[in-house]
Amino acid sequence: MASSRTRSFASAIITLWVSTLGAHALDDPAERTRVTRLDNGLTLLTLEDPASPVVSFQIWVRVGSRDESRITGLAHLFEHMMFKGSAHIEPEEHAQLVQSRGGRLNAYTNRDVTVYFEDITAETLPLVIDLEAERFANLDVSERTLTSEREVVLEERRLRTEDQPGGRGIEALMALTFQAHPYRWPVIGWRSDIENTSVDDCREFFARYYVPNNLVISIAGGFDEDLAIERIRQRFGALKRVAPVPRNPTTEPPQDGERRAQVHFDVQGARLYAAWHAPPTGHPDSDALDVLSVILSGGRSSRLYRSLVYESQRARFAHGSYWNLKDAGVFYAVAGARPGGSIDELEALFMGEIARLRVELVSEAELEKAKRQIEVSMIQGLRTSHALASRIASETVMLGKIRPLDERLESLRAVGSEDVRRVAARYLQDEKRSVVHVVKAPQGEEE
Amino acid sequence: MTRPWAWRKDGISLVWLLVVGSCTACGSVGGGPPPAWEQPPPSVRELPVVPEQALTRAELSNGLQILILEDHRLPRVTLGLDVWRGEASVETERAGLAVFTAELMRRGAGDRNAIELAEAVDRIGADLGAGAGWDSLGVLVSGLSRDLDTLFEILADVVLRPRFDPAELERLRAETLASLESARDDPGTLAGWYTADAVYGAHRFGQPKSGTPESVAGFERREVRDLHASFLIPNAAVFFATGNVNREEILERVEKAFADWKPGALPPEGVAPPALAPPTRRVVIVDKPDLGQARIVVAHEGISRTDPDRIPAAMLNDVLGGSGFSSRLMETLRAEAGLTYTASSHFSLRRQPGPFVVSTFTRVPETRRALDLVLEGLENARVNPPSESELDRARTLSVGSFAMGLETSDAVMDSLVNLELYGLPDDSLETYRDRVRAVSVDDTSRMALRLLHPQRAAIVLVGPADQLLPQVKGLGPVEVVQP
Repeated sequence: MASSRTRSFASAIITLWVSTLGAHALDDPAERTRVTRLDNGLTLLTLEDPASPVVSFQIWVRVGSRDESRITGLAHLFEHMMFKGSAHIEPEEHAQLVQSRGGRLNAYTNRDVTVYFEDITAETLPLVIDLEAERFANLDVSERTLTSEREVVLEERRLRTEDQPGGRGIEALMALTFQAHPYRWPVIGWRSDIENTSVDDCREFFARYYVPNNLVISIAGGFDEDLAIERIRQRFGALKRVAPVPRNPTTEPPQDGERRAQVHFDVQGARLYAAWHAPPTGHPDSDALDVLSVILSGGRSSRLYRSLVYESQRARFAHGSYWNLKDAGVFYAVAGARPGGSIDELEALFMGEIARLRVELVSEAELEKAKRQIEVSMIQGLRTSHALASRIASETVMLGKIRPLDERLESLRAVGSEDVRRVAARYLQDEKRSVVHVVKAPQGEEE
Repeated sequence: MTRPWAWRKDGISLVWLLVVGSCTACGSVGGGPPPAWEQPPPSVRELPVVPEQALTRAELSNGLQILILEDHRLPRVTLGLDVWRGEASVETERAGLAVFTAELMRRGAGDRNAIELAEAVDRIGADLGAGAGWDSLGVLVSGLSRDLDTLFEILADVVLRPRFDPAELERLRAETLASLESARDDPGTLAGWYTADAVYGAHRFGQPKSGTPESVAGFERREVRDLHASFLIPNAAVFFATGNVNREEILERVEKAFADWKPGALPPEGVAPPALAPPTRRVVIVDKPDLGQARIVVAHEGISRTDPDRIPAAMLNDVLGGSGFSSRLMETLRAEAGLTYTASSHFSLRRQPGPFVVSTFTRVPETRRALDLVLEGLENARVNPPSESELDRARTLSVGSFAMGLETSDAVMDSLVNLELYGLPDDSLETYRDRVRAVSVDDTSRMALRLLHPQRAAIVLVGPADQLLPQVKGLGPVEVVQP
C-alpha cells in the first residue's frame, strides 16, 4: 500500500490566476487529493473538504463499450445488474437504502468507463462503502433478474435511441465514423445483442473487469479521510487482483474519403450530424480543439449560433464540439433545421464555418473570449463534491494523473490563433468527414 | 424489506461460486465492523441552513426586496431578479407572452443590441438567462466576482431597459414557432401538452406554458411592452446575490441601479382553475404511428404551493412515485414487471393548484398492463396508505435530501427566493426538518383520500393509435388526436 499527496506547482497557480482571473488567488482543491493504492491494485482517491455538507463517493470501473467483444451493450446491461442484488442485499435494496437517507445515486456507462456514484451526507458514507463492497464481492446475477432487467434496458433503448431523432442520428454517425474500432457500436448495444445476453455472459464480464486492479474509488467532500480509507481497506482489501485485464487491440485505420448516410425518421425539422477523427484524450492538440469548439459554439456570440441560428435563421440549434475518448477523439457537429428548411443548405452553411476556420486566423478578441469562457467554466466546475470527485477520477482513469488546473491553464493560455487554424486544417478536412442526415422518408416510401 | 437480516440467498450456482470464489470466502463485506446496513441509520448532522452572518435581508424604499448570501469559497458571483407574476397571469389567448417577453428582454437592452449584449456576456465568460414560469419571471446572470460591475450593468439593463427591437421580436417569433413545431418530434413534450389540455381544458393551465402557434403568431410589441411594464415592478420583486461579494458593495449597487424604479399595481394572479379537473375520467390518445414505445400519463388536479398540507402530500408522493427506486411505482413497474425504465409522480406546485401527474412509458403492446399497474397503484394507495416504515423512509429521505440541498449557495438562494415568491415564512427552511418529522401515518392516509383520484383522472397515451385504441376498452370516453 502506498499513500502520497500531489502538491506540485502550488506557487505557479497563484501567479496564473492573478493574470487570468484578477487578483484573486485560487487554490485548486484537486491538488490536495490523497492517493492510496491497496495491495490488490485498487486505486483510492480522497479529497477532504470539511466545509462541504455533501460527500460524493464514486467507483470508476475501467470498462466501457470499447471493451466488449462478442455482445454489444454488455457493459451497460451489466451496470444495471449491479443494482439487482447480491448475497446479502435484495434486488434494488442498495438503491433504496441510499435514497431513503436522502442520498442521490446512479450509474452510467460510456465508451471508456462505467461509473457508480452516491452523493450523500457524511453519516451515510459507511453504509455506501459497505454496500459497494458487498456488490463488488458478492454480486448475484440470476436468470430471473436478468430477464426483467433486459426489458428495462430495451425500454431505455427505445426511450433514448429508437424513438428519438437525436439518438438515431448519433448512433448512425458513430457507426459511420468508426468502421473498425469498438467505438462504432452504441453504448447501449444493438437490440438483438441486448435480447440475447445470458447470465453466463454477465458473470464472465464481472469476473474479468470488476476486479480491484481495474477500479478507481474517488471520494470528495466533507468526510473523515482516515476513517474512510481504513473502512475501504477493510471492505475492499480482500478482493483478489486479476491480471491482466484484457483490451480490444483494434485501432481505427485512417479514413480515406467522405462517408455519408441517411436515416429516415418522422421529424418536423431535418437534422445534421457530422464527425471528424480527432486525437484522443491528453493529446497536445486537445486545448486548441477545445478553444476551437468554444469559438464555434460557446454562447450566443459564437460563430454557429450567429450564422446558422441568428443571421440566416436556418437552424433551430447548431453545435460543434471536441469529444475526447480514451483511444481516439471525435470532433462532432449537430444542427437542426427549422421545419421545412433544407438540410443541404444547412449543411453548406455549417461546413462554410468549418472551412473558414481552416483558412482564416481567428481574431485575438475571439481567441481571448473563448479562453475566458473555458477558464470560468473550470471555476464553476469546482462548486460541488460530485464535480470534484468526477474530475479527479476521470483524470486518473483517462490521463493517468490528476492534472492541476494551473497546468491546464498554462497550456490553454499558450493556444494561439495559428494553433486553431492548424488543428482545423489538420483534423476538419472535408474528405475526412462522416455526415448523417436524419430526414423524413420520401413520400410513398415506408420505413 | 426489513432490516437487520443477513443470510445467503439460495440458488447460487456452482459456476457462480467458482467465478467469484475468491470473494465468497471473504465474508459479507470483507473484514471490520458488522455491515452498516444492519445498524439503524445514524441521525443526520443538522447544519445551519446558512452560515451565521452570511445572509443579509434588506428592502429599498420602492419595495424591492434584497437577499444577499455571501460565500467566499470561489471567485464567482450570481445575481438575479425575480418578479411575482408569470404565465398564470397571462390570458389564455396570449399564452406564452411572459416567456416570450422574458426571452426578448435579453435580446438587446440599454445601449447594446442583441449581438452586442451576447458579446458583452461571452467576453467575460458569464452566463445570462431570462425566463418565466407559471408564477414568476426572472433574469439571472453569473460570472467572476471581479466582473461584478459589468454583471450588474447587464442585469439592470435587461430588467429595466430592454429594447424590444421589432426585428428581434420577429426573429424570436419565427424561432418560437419553429421550436413549437419541432417539439412535436418529442413524445415527452407531446404527452405534457396533451395532459395539460386533458386536465384543465380552456383554463390557462390547459395550454403549454410557452404558448401555442396561434397565440405566438398574434403577439404584438405593444403587448410585450405592457407585460414588461405591469409585471416588472419593484414592490413585487426580489433582487438576490450569492457568492464572493460583501453586503455593502451589493447594497450600494442595488441602490444605484434600482432606486429610481417606480412601484406599480400588481396584476391579478389569474383565474383559479376548476376545483375538480377533470370532472370525469377521459382518455386521450395522441397518434404517433412511428413510436415503438407508448408514453403513459395519468393526471388530475393537485394542490397549491402554499397548501397547508404540502408536506404530508410530499411524503405521500415520495412513497408513491417521488423517490426513485424507493417508490412503489418504480418497484412495481420497473423492478418487478420490467415494463419501463422509469415511473414517477409529482405535484406541480404553483400559486393556484397545479396538476398531480403520474408518468411512465413502455413498449406499445404492454401499454394496458402498465397503465393498469399505475391505476391500481393509485387506488391501492387510498386503501393501503403509507405504512409507518414507508413513511419513516420518506422522512429520512426528506431530511437527508434537504441537507444535500445546502451544498451550494445558489441552491440555498433558490429556496429563499421561492419562499419570498409565495409569501411563505422566512424561517421555513429552518423549521422544515421538524415539520417533516411531525408528519404521521394518519396525515398521509388523509392525503391519499384527499389527493388521489384515479377514478376520474385524465389518461393520456402517446403512440400508434391503431395499437393503443384496442387496449383502452372500458376505461372511459376515448378521443384520438393528431398532433
